Amino acid sequence: MNRITIVCFLASYGLAFALELLQFWSGRASLRFLAWLAAAAGLLAHTLYLYSRVPPLIWQFSWMLFVAWVLAVFYLCGAIHYRRLNWGIFVLPLIVGLLGLGLLFGQPPETARGLWQEDLHELHQLWRPVHVVLILLATVGVCVGFLASLMYLIQAHRLRTKAPPGQGLKLLSLERLEAMNRRALLLAFPLLTAGMIAGMVLIARSESVGWTDPRVLGTMVLWIVFALLLFLRFAQHLRGRQVAFLTIVAFLLLLVCVVLAHPIPGVE
Amino acid sequence: MTRGGCRGLIGSMNLLAIGCSYRTTPVEVRERLAFSDEQLGRALEQLSRQLGFEAVLLSTCNRVELYAAGDGDPTDYMADFHALPRQEIRQHLYVHRGEAAIRHLFRVAASLDSLVLGEAQINGQVKKAYERALLHGSTGPVLNALFPHARQVAKRVRTETGISQGHASISSAAVDYVKEVFDHFEDKTVLVIGAGKMGTLTLKALRGLKPRRIWVTNRSPERALAIAQECRGEAILWERLDEVMAKADIVLSTTGAPQPIMTRERYARISARRTRWPVVILDIAVPRDFDPRIHDGETVLLNIDDLKSVQERTLERRRAHLIPAEQIIEQETRRFIKDWARRGNGPVIERLTREFEARRKEIVGKLFSRLNGKLDAADRQYIDKAFSLFQNQLLHGPISALKEESTSGKEQSHTLLEALRKLFRLE
Repeated sequence: MNRITIVCFLASYGLAFALELLQFWSGRASLRFLAWLAAAAGLLAHTLYLYSRVPPLIWQFSWMLFVAWVLAVFYLCGAIHYRRLNWGIFVLPLIVGLLGLGLLFGQPPETARGLWQEDLHELHQLWRPVHVVLILLATVGVCVGFLASLMYLIQAHRLRTKAPPGQGLKLLSLERLEAMNRRALLLAFPLLTAGMIAGMVLIARSESVGWTDPRVLGTMVLWIVFALLLFLRFAQHLRGRQVAFLTIVAFLLLLVCVVLAHPIPGVE
Repeated sequence: MTRGGCRGLIGSMNLLAIGCSYRTTPVEVRERLAFSDEQLGRALEQLSRQLGFEAVLLSTCNRVELYAAGDGDPTDYMADFHALPRQEIRQHLYVHRGEAAIRHLFRVAASLDSLVLGEAQINGQVKKAYERALLHGSTGPVLNALFPHARQVAKRVRTETGISQGHASISSAAVDYVKEVFDHFEDKTVLVIGAGKMGTLTLKALRGLKPRRIWVTNRSPERALAIAQECRGEAILWERLDEVMAKADIVLSTTGAPQPIMTRERYARISARRTRWPVVILDIAVPRDFDPRIHDGETVLLNIDDLKSVQERTLERRRAHLIPAEQIIEQETRRFIKDWARRGNGPVIERLTREFEARRKEIVGKLFSRLNGKLDAADRQYIDKAFSLFQNQLLHGPISALKEESTSGKEQSHTLLEALRKLFRLE
């Protein structure tokens, strides 16, 4: 298992994406089946890697690996459920992108310990894992919302240009995509809020991180954008396209926050 | 001729396809030649019992055709049945014989000769025509072999080519668009504006989606009520149009208004009251009822030209599959002729062998009785075997030639068959 590297599953997902693209252009159903196989192989390698290494979630590298793993499961479930849709063309590049970003961030040093390997002698030390896990789940929700929004905008564009049904990209209906986005946001917002509260407790106890720290400010802006998004969606009946644009903005903001958030000082 | 008799089996199939279609004949003539249900039954019985034909009648809105097998020429039958002048009708009819008739039926059943290429309805109509003929006992060996084969051909063309892919009607194109927008319909409201005939089929297709409710509004409340009753909807007063527009998810507009009933400004006021998005508006009225600028991707406005263009594109894609479809028709026509010839040869070969067998036994029997007492069992067996060998070698030539001709699929096999029958007096 030690011979499995990030390149193994990154290449598998990349191959799956290339096969999905080829399937879209050629229309050959067998290519989609091969794409599933490649992605499934990637997911297996990915799972074994996470299981054997247990990379510390506190590092962006590990963070990206975990989010990409959840999205890979999401891809396979979606691809099997919506066999005729071009699902992979949207989900796989995000997985590859997140893993690529993880590689850019660099692997944690060998001395870094996993989240659950730390000594949790006292109750207050639980805040850190709670904060990390909640934010991680919120991130997954935002990623799903981003994918749904992207597909929504493309489907809306197809309808605006009156593209013939059944030709070109095969996507879910506008209504279904809007529902997917709505559910993802409704799931992500409470998780983000709870994660932020846990983060605030950590800041209050920390001597090195202040309220003006860029990642703290970035996360707050992200939360405000989210709150605004939900308010506009549910109270102001904002249209699907505008909600989709705002979700994409929230996703980009999240990426900025992740880039800004270097390992919490004191943890190597 | 006796229907289903020996001659039909071993001789030429004497198949004819006589008829007219939208390609050759104006609707005014077609409707005069069309057969009602009652007429169909009467005609089939007449053709089979009085005239001795195997017969199947195919009468649809686009074609009226008689498939007949037997001796004689039923070309004028349709004109005579409807008491129409033969000369006048004959100029509109096409007559296909033998192989051409087989090919024609296969093309019709596979929807290659249809007004809407690749439409699925015609195969069902051909099946129904054959079943009706079966019911009236007007089929025989030729048509009982031909029509089931035609169904298989249609299925092969449909599955092996893309000739039936996509939806090629306005109503199905409209439903396809609606499905790109909505996922489920049990909570959706359909609003029908106007009562144009154009909308009937589309409304029927929308009803198939099982929406929560259908509202119908019309300038004439009576007309609105009539349509609402027809589609199990609810009639709404014309004055409430803006109010219900703000609540509807799918709008079908088919008024005969000379000016658009929904301007951009009026729609903007309605949009401001709307809480549910998106909305699909199917404006199939001519002139159009809705200002085209309303269309923005979340208010999906489709007019008759948009839907027709989908239909055209579908047909264009289907036309690309015509060549492989025609190749299948050609292969299947050849296969049917071969099978038919093989089926026709069987009884001749059997009869020929039986005749030779009987004569051989007669001759050998006479020989044994003359040489009675001079031959032992081994001699008798040897002589019997020698005569059997001689018989087989004698028959090998004609039987092989017949089989070769029939597998070549050429019509000459009938000539050879006739020659054999005459030469060996197999009548």
